[in-house]
Amino acid sequence: MSILIDESTRLIVQGITGREGSYHTEQMIKYGTKVVGGVTPGKGGQEVCGVPVFNSVKEAMAATGADATVIFVPAKFMKDSVMEAIDAGMKMVFTIAEHVPVHDMMYCYHLAKARGVKLFGPNSFGVISPGKTKAGFMAGYFFSQGSVGVMSRSATNCYETVKMMTDNGIGQSTCVGVGGDMIPGTTFVELLPDFEADPDTKAVVIIGEIGGSEEELAAAYIKEHFSKPVVALIAGKNAPKGRSMGHAGAIVSADGTGSAEHKERALRDAGVYCADSTQHIIDILLDLKAEGKI
Amino acid sequence: MKLLEYKAKELFDKYGVPTMNGCVIDSSENMEGEIEKAGLTYPVVVKAQVQIGGRGKAGGIRFADTPQEAKKHCEDLLFTELRGYKVNQLLIVEKSENNKTELYLSIMLDRLTKCPIIIFSANGGMEIEQTAKEDPDKIIKIVVDPFVGIKDYMATYLLSKSGMDLSYKKQLTAMLTKLYAAFMDYSCMLVEINPLVINAEDQLVALDGKIDIDDSAMFRLPDIQEFAAKLQPDNPLIKEAAEYNFLYIPVDEEGTITVVSNGSGMLMSCIDLISKEGMKVSAVLDLGGGATSDRIKEAIRILLSTPGAKALLINIFGGITRCDEVAGGVKMALEEAHQDKIVVVRMEGTNKEIGLATIDSIKDVDIVSVPGLRECVKALADRRDRL
Repeated sequence: MSILIDESTRLIVQGITGREGSYHTEQMIKYGTKVVGGVTPGKGGQEVCGVPVFNSVKEAMAATGADATVIFVPAKFMKDSVMEAIDAGMKMVFTIAEHVPVHDMMYCYHLAKARGVKLFGPNSFGVISPGKTKAGFMAGYFFSQGSVGVMSRSATNCYETVKMMTDNGIGQSTCVGVGGDMIPGTTFVELLPDFEADPDTKAVVIIGEIGGSEEELAAAYIKEHFSKPVVALIAGKNAPKGRSMGHAGAIVSADGTGSAEHKERALRDAGVYCADSTQHIIDILLDLKAEGKI
Repeated sequence: MKLLEYKAKELFDKYGVPTMNGCVIDSSENMEGEIEKAGLTYPVVVKAQVQIGGRGKAGGIRFADTPQEAKKHCEDLLFTELRGYKVNQLLIVEKSENNKTELYLSIMLDRLTKCPIIIFSANGGMEIEQTAKEDPDKIIKIVVDPFVGIKDYMATYLLSKSGMDLSYKKQLTAMLTKLYAAFMDYSCMLVEINPLVINAEDQLVALDGKIDIDDSAMFRLPDIQEFAAKLQPDNPLIKEAAEYNFLYIPVDEEGTITVVSNGSGMLMSCIDLISKEGMKVSAVLDLGGGATSDRIKEAIRILLSTPGAKALLINIFGGITRCDEVAGGVKMALEEAHQDKIVVVRMEGTNKEIGLATIDSIKDVDIVSVPGLRECVKALADRRDRL
């Protein structure tokens, strides 16, 4: 099994006729994803990679029975595309673009929660259930099917980790890009119950970074409710300081929330293995494998 | 994008948030004329327009009882430096005298609740972090549902909870409503008034203003773009990189290694690992996703012009960024400029083979190609004596 998406997922691509949209539609189909259609306003009736293009999400859903969408439109149009998808009744929405205005994402986040929609990203590579399907722009070849769930705020750090996992014979159940922005549609703590419930996920890797409190929230959940081994990496220990938001920003972080040290302390306290490099993640996973835990 | 005070005041005026009468001086010639034209009543306050904390202590805020005094302060402050920041504008405002009290009010975007949050304190004037530390009960917060917005009961709560007279409710509600409108319209991360005074006439007036606008929303804010274009950047390379939509981040002035990657996560990991080996990074550049070779060429050129740079690490794990595009850009940049720098390349991901073949074809450059992140750091450490 896997979480969120699998072979049965019927995906549409919003922005399918664009440079990135069409290229990654081809890549997703090659990987085995059931891409059943695409949306570009004004290009309805065309075909991309053998799948039909529609003018609107509503028409695409009616014609194809799609149950998930990946949005490849530029950042400034993302809010409208997400709202259209949610309004059309889509229950799983993956957003990719970086530099999405935070206020736009604030709006989309609360709309998605109110309508019971699973929204992922932005600034994310998407989601992949290796060997089954992928929704996003990650290259597929270095992922491998297995029993470790991965969630990451960074695409590049996730790729690095996953490639080393694959090279060392450790496969993945599902890898989720929660995204690197200030407001992610879905955070680590919301995905943990899915990984806990998935019988094929034996352990979870969390790739976090400085800023925000997503890792602390995950740690609190793990401590009380999560039974499987968790390995975490916090990137950015040596990142240059002083890129904060100013006075008011310092209020919420007056207790140290956001620093790598604070996050690692919370994670360790919850029994999470903290790694200091991607190589170290692999070493810990290999130990878990030797102990028969994964 | 943090606005200077005078620009924040401009937005406050636009939204009807009460401020003091004032004018902006940006040249020594029109100084007297501007003050006269604004029809200011003395005494006035001359405020240096620089983004530093403790501006008053640094001598950037001065009081004047007469035009002569004001002119003297202007001459003393304009185009000088305050803690390393050049003063290019002065804001001159009428002084608000015999204030009854100083309050603090801000609206910020809260990461935890993903909502705008109102922060209010009857202890204004001082740095809010200090109040947060010493007297956390004096800070009142309200999380605003973005689908609901500002409602009358919020001002009542803020006043009641901080032990203030409820008679200010109408004024505070108006203030919150206007500030919130500015916050939403301008995609702000923060709008802050400190101090917000109750003056001798019992009116709420903003005596200072801080506004921080989300850089990603700049495309729809032409007036802020205009303001930003006039600002002098701390580092010209940041501005140059931004013109190509890249993020250039200075890290350590003593560093000799520059790093380019296609994501901030990988950049942070590179800095972490290089630092762990006792080497220093001078600057990093984030290509973001999907950069094409012509833009990547500019990225490499900008990064290599970092003062003191002796090595360049190119670490790409391409998803939406294609290795062939990266390699093409790297080749153009390195062959054109006859670089004498150490170049370490690591490429993985989309179109890796084509990319690596292009890297191999680069001539007359001290360039080495390695398979992984660990090997990148090792290749740099092996050349430590030349860094």
